[in-house]
Amino acid sequence: MLQMIFTPEFFFAIFRITAPILFATMAAVICEKAGVSNIGLEGTMMISALFGSLFAYYSGSWFIGLLVAIVTGILVSLFMGFFAFNLKTDIILTGTAVNMIGSGGTIFLVKVITGITQGTQLTSTTSLITQKLQIPSITIPFINQIPVIGNVLSGHSLLTYLAFISVFLTWVLLYRTPLGLNIRSVGENPHAASSVGVSVLRIKYITMVIAGILCGMGGAFMSMYYAMGWSLDMLAGRGFIALAAQAMGAGEPLGCMLSALIFGFAQALGIKLSATGVDSNLVSPIPYLVTIIGLVVFAIIARRRAKRAHHEKVSA
Amino acid sequence: MNKKRSLMFSVVRGALAIGIALLVAAFLIFVSSKGNSFGARLGATFESLKAMLIQPLIRTNGSFSVKGFTDILAGMIPIIFTGLATCVMFSANQFNLGSEGGILLGAFVTSLVAVYAPLPGVLLPIVAIAAGAIATAIMMLIPAVLKAKLNVSEMVNSLMLNYVIMYVIKFLMNAFIADKTKGTVQTSNFQANAALPQLINNGSKLSIGFVIAIVVTILIALFMYRTRWGYAIRMIGINQKFSMYSGMNVAMVIILAQVIGGLLAGMGGGIEMLGRNLYFDWLAQPGYGWTGVTVAILAGNNPAFVPLAAFFMAYLEKGCTLMSTYASVPAQLIDIIQAVIFLFFAADQFLSKYRQRLVVKSAEEELREKMIDATVEGSVK
Repeated sequence: MLQMIFTPEFFFAIFRITAPILFATMAAVICEKAGVSNIGLEGTMMISALFGSLFAYYSGSWFIGLLVAIVTGILVSLFMGFFAFNLKTDIILTGTAVNMIGSGGTIFLVKVITGITQGTQLTSTTSLITQKLQIPSITIPFINQIPVIGNVLSGHSLLTYLAFISVFLTWVLLYRTPLGLNIRSVGENPHAASSVGVSVLRIKYITMVIAGILCGMGGAFMSMYYAMGWSLDMLAGRGFIALAAQAMGAGEPLGCMLSALIFGFAQALGIKLSATGVDSNLVSPIPYLVTIIGLVVFAIIARRRAKRAHHEKVSA
Repeated sequence: MNKKRSLMFSVVRGALAIGIALLVAAFLIFVSSKGNSFGARLGATFESLKAMLIQPLIRTNGSFSVKGFTDILAGMIPIIFTGLATCVMFSANQFNLGSEGGILLGAFVTSLVAVYAPLPGVLLPIVAIAAGAIATAIMMLIPAVLKAKLNVSEMVNSLMLNYVIMYVIKFLMNAFIADKTKGTVQTSNFQANAALPQLINNGSKLSIGFVIAIVVTILIALFMYRTRWGYAIRMIGINQKFSMYSGMNVAMVIILAQVIGGLLAGMGGGIEMLGRNLYFDWLAQPGYGWTGVTVAILAGNNPAFVPLAAFFMAYLEKGCTLMSTYASVPAQLIDIIQAVIFLFFAADQFLSKYRQRLVVKSAEEELREKMIDATVEGSVK
């Protein structure tokens, strides 16, 4: 049984499944560092995924599709920023509204574009994305020669690699650049930041743009690689899982990546189990349950650590 | 600012938010309408808007549609419950978005009781709905207790639970419960005595559930504004730290608010099932929870305004459905309209300059009055 599950393909699948969650997780990490609780990641990715796949189809180029997905992500994020920062709508409600547009609004657009207006059948763009329009996979020379590891690490989509590279870039951005310092200071104490001349609004908008880019790539990954087309509810809560991964990793890029990998693992396991004949409805909730359990475990550990630190302080 | 002026401001602001949303809707309808010339498309847009805004209540021949009206009232039932649930939870500053899963779970549990429990007469629907409500309240304990005791985000947990509930119900339906003699995945029919009595027999499915919804609204409004617990919930929403320092049991109240939210959402699911359906066949999230969030925002988290907001949303929903049948504009337009209204309604700074002017004007008037009083007093002395 175990040998049947833990094959190189299985580990390959973990990376593939983790990638979109990872994009959203890094977006959540950066937003949270700037003090923005962006719960609209799900909707942002949905909208990007739709436009990405549509433009890839119309232009006949995956690259243009990807670019459009990224631009869409940026625009949606700026839209959120306008309401949250300028009109002072509660950020949670702004995110909820974007998620509503992401689920219902995108169906509206698909129906308008494809000309189906009635009936309850799931509309999708799955027929639009062909092999040619898929985001290309990359074979890494040398590594692909290594047995087992080659099968796991090589041959992923361009975006899968980018997702993992984005973890490193996020770390560099946050801890090794002046912008990152500003982002962190805005999140920690906006008044202090503004008193030394940092434009809090500008930094928050920049943060939203970065989150938009990441969500755009996550969306493109979903509709132009993972599922080969956009369909209703295709994100299935990945944007929300990313929020959990952010919390579990205590907002640090590396820890959050590990948390995201746990969800990727849970989901890959679920897919594998359902392939062996277990009811897919029984394994589908696993990632969500893992999220809840993970959050609880993390909270307990964090609490213990805080208590211990407190005790040490008192005894010292 | 005096009361009259602040009320006027709220009305203007709300009307403007709705107006903007309708403009956005008109634009989207225009984009999606078919026609060769600009004029033709404009005409089609106008027709669609007419279908959406007027036809829910007015028939094409200009007479009032009773069926349309009762349809809207029937559509209000589930979203009054999810709206109230959201009101209570948001009032305590608990962003629990679990009424979506909650209404699903309530409907499911109620259905099981309604199919299988051998209970006589009116006892069956009462027990069934109570079971659904209690099951959902217990489910809400998960995000509530985790938030109160471990400070884990109730928002993320409730969203995750929505998915867990959906899949578990799907699994149970497929594996055990579904009536295999039926073509689709559904339970056997409810026992005959489980059905809620209908208020009007015109196919609108306007059940006694509507009356229950209004009664519950009044009860929740009284609870929130006339009881100690309701006060505690609202105070914690306004300033949690202050509430804690003044000796409130914050954890208890946080849990209470979400359990009440669960009770309401579950009850709504059960009533919707027994009032409208003959069997259970919800295999996806029904969307009432999200509409409930909009209803709560429109009502400003005040339970008393929930039926009004629910009427508005049910009206729009009906309008969008009509529009999709008559004018071939997809009904999902409602999600976009909903999101836009909701964004402007919740926007603190929307029209803030106008409000500022009103405040200044009121203050100046007050000052002037006081000065006049003072001079009058002075002359008397």
